[in-house]
Amino acid sequence: MSRNRSNRTRGAVNLHLQQQKPEAENAVPGPQGSCTTMCPLYELREREAHNRLHRFEILAGTEKDRRPRADVVRTVKEYSRPAAGKDSTRPSDLRPPSVLLKTTCYLIDEIAASPTLQPWTEVYSFVFDRLRSVRQDLIIQRCWGPECKAILERTVRFLLYASFRLCGEPLQLYDPKINDTHLQECLSWLLESYSQQHSTDTTQSQSSAQEEFHALNLLYNLGSTQMMQRVLELPMSMRSSPSVNLALLVSQAFVEQNPVRVLRLARRLDFLQVCALHRHIETCRRKLLLLYSHGYNSRNCRFPVSQLAILLGLDDALTAELCNAHGVTIQGQWVAFSKTQFIETPLTQLRCVKMHNMDMKQKDFNIRSIINGSF
Amino acid sequence: MAHITINQYLQQVLEAIDNRDGSFCAEFLSFKHPHVANPRLQLSNPEEKCQQVLEPPYDEMIAAHLRCTYAVANHDFVEAYKCQTVVVQYPLRMAFQAHKEDNCKKKKKFLWKMCVVMGFICQAEQQLQKKGKGKVGDMLEKAAEQLMSCFRVCASDNRAGIDDSKKWGMLFLINQLFKIYFKINKLHLCKPLIRAIDSSNLKDEYSMAQRVTYKYYVGCKAMFDSDFQQAEEYLSFSFQHCHRSCQRNKRLILIYLLPVKMLLGHMPTDQLLKKYDLMQFADVTKAVSEGNLLLLNEVLAKHETFFIRCGIFLILEKLKIITYRNLFKKVNSSDGLSRSYRYLLLKTHQMPLDAFLVALKMMQVEEVDIDEVQCILANLIYMGHIKGYISHQHQKLVVSKQNPFPPLSSIS
Repeated sequence: MSRNRSNRTRGAVNLHLQQQKPEAENAVPGPQGSCTTMCPLYELREREAHNRLHRFEILAGTEKDRRPRADVVRTVKEYSRPAAGKDSTRPSDLRPPSVLLKTTCYLIDEIAASPTLQPWTEVYSFVFDRLRSVRQDLIIQRCWGPECKAILERTVRFLLYASFRLCGEPLQLYDPKINDTHLQECLSWLLESYSQQHSTDTTQSQSSAQEEFHALNLLYNLGSTQMMQRVLELPMSMRSSPSVNLALLVSQAFVEQNPVRVLRLARRLDFLQVCALHRHIETCRRKLLLLYSHGYNSRNCRFPVSQLAILLGLDDALTAELCNAHGVTIQGQWVAFSKTQFIETPLTQLRCVKMHNMDMKQKDFNIRSIINGSF
Repeated sequence: MAHITINQYLQQVLEAIDNRDGSFCAEFLSFKHPHVANPRLQLSNPEEKCQQVLEPPYDEMIAAHLRCTYAVANHDFVEAYKCQTVVVQYPLRMAFQAHKEDNCKKKKKFLWKMCVVMGFICQAEQQLQKKGKGKVGDMLEKAAEQLMSCFRVCASDNRAGIDDSKKWGMLFLINQLFKIYFKINKLHLCKPLIRAIDSSNLKDEYSMAQRVTYKYYVGCKAMFDSDFQQAEEYLSFSFQHCHRSCQRNKRLILIYLLPVKMLLGHMPTDQLLKKYDLMQFADVTKAVSEGNLLLLNEVLAKHETFFIRCGIFLILEKLKIITYRNLFKKVNSSDGLSRSYRYLLLKTHQMPLDAFLVALKMMQVEEVDIDEVQCILANLIYMGHIKGYISHQHQKLVVSKQNPFPPLSSIS
């Protein structure tokens, strides 16, 4: 197990180094792919022969066969670890950037956004794996162009959305840590590729995409000095754009230890931004209870539950549940804060997913438009 | 020395090698030495000459060095970097051959000088980037790789006695690596290097200049990691032991030491700020000690470019919490704000929350309301800046009768 992990990290490091080397004038060009389908024919045949097709890839009508056939327009190259002796640079096995972008769009539009494919955890693991192989092809070919950005943008949005939707799923179906690792990698790659292009030849839509992802990065890595410093170094026009500015305000409130302000500003975020921030919300709520337990620490403290609920952005019942888990006593309509009774780690396992903001659920969101960035 | 011919130069190098005189030899490869400005030595193809006089591998090494001076003279820093890499590789390779002879010291000296030159090339690289040429950090990263391989040689030298151990080169290399990592913004790479020095039994024996540099970088890193206690300790050491003639370095140290000290409650004097030409901090100090949030925001905006460039803008923003404390302390004692608060003198240990809200509004804090005032107060109480509690029923802050605002320096 430990050897496995070290291999994985080494892989990540290599990947990172590759990212740092955009097409320098004298750099060796990477191999050029010539595969025009989402899955190289060789792999398709092999997986067909070994019964290794995913059920989303099987030709309709052959599911019950002893050896189901592959549907050429639905089979996607799967991720395979680089290994010694394996040649991963054969042009016939690599897809050029335009095909990779088409593959990404297929995965998002036809699989991730499909209302019929169930359960979504399976959809996630399929799309996650296939997007990973898309990135692998990008890296091998040392792509750095507009397609690469478009692919990374969609991947980041997909992973962000998944981190919100699958929150609380059992570990074998969704591992937040692995999702986080990939998300961070994609984000830093994407932001790095933005910074490579000169600001003069940036179009309006490109700069709005940059704003969007700088904001998402700030919210996802809330309170990270490095990320905030990075945003501060952006040109003023980008820094003062509404989304980046709001994300900066949230970060500042977080750094200033003002959870009331963080939770209040969070209500102004759009759906994807909420997804990005969501993993910090629990921390903010806990922090708020901690601060109030010290600030209102007196024997006859009486703080209305309903008001606390508003501050926390929860309903009264969930507020009570959260308070109980942290040892904050509630008597009727009143909260009695006490610094000695506050418990940092919750007594009972709280289900974060239950605390997801109510009005967010009610809004009718279309996954496809969220991930394609046109909502 | 500045006008010798190529033959004279090579002869002297030969003598130095024969005499096993490391430091002298290193001089001939140094970029701080006047010979690099000598146009008679700046040759594009010095190989043949070198071969005639010197034994391999020295001939190639010196040839590469001379080509490097040529490239630098022509402002071709990419080429210079390539040559320099070749130069560095020789002592490295020799070190791997693990001669047990007395030339260990020589190699060490070699390495040192070599790396200074690397640092120099890196600077040149930076200038190049500013002109819009070259890819960001690419060359720097390669330089770091080279330095790292030197470092490994030094760190793994366990056999030699302590006197001529290559381990003496470690701290120097680490400082050069820090310099690069800070430039390419990869601070996480510093961690294993810090660990290497921490566990080294030589750490207090290195030269003071190197220790000052080391503590400066580690202090900065601690500051960026929000470990202000350690940052203060390291940066203070660096400031106190930095040579008095190095005013520029002292100023650099202060840029990071000042915010850390301020966060821990020690404000600098104007005299100090004047001496080191750091008046940008003067108004920050004033704003924080007066609890003047408005001024603080204005000053941060005014010197924004400077503070951001130094990477301390976010650290200075953390001073807001102390500024709140000072402002609220004033509201509490009512001597600083308008007359309308004079009545508060009567019952200073119970303060209506509204008074704080008014104070914040006077400071033009955006979109603030009573809920946020309560949160800010709760935070100050939690951090120990205020002794007391908030009464929600009475909408009042009740402060301790003794020492309601403990001195900043007593709070860690």
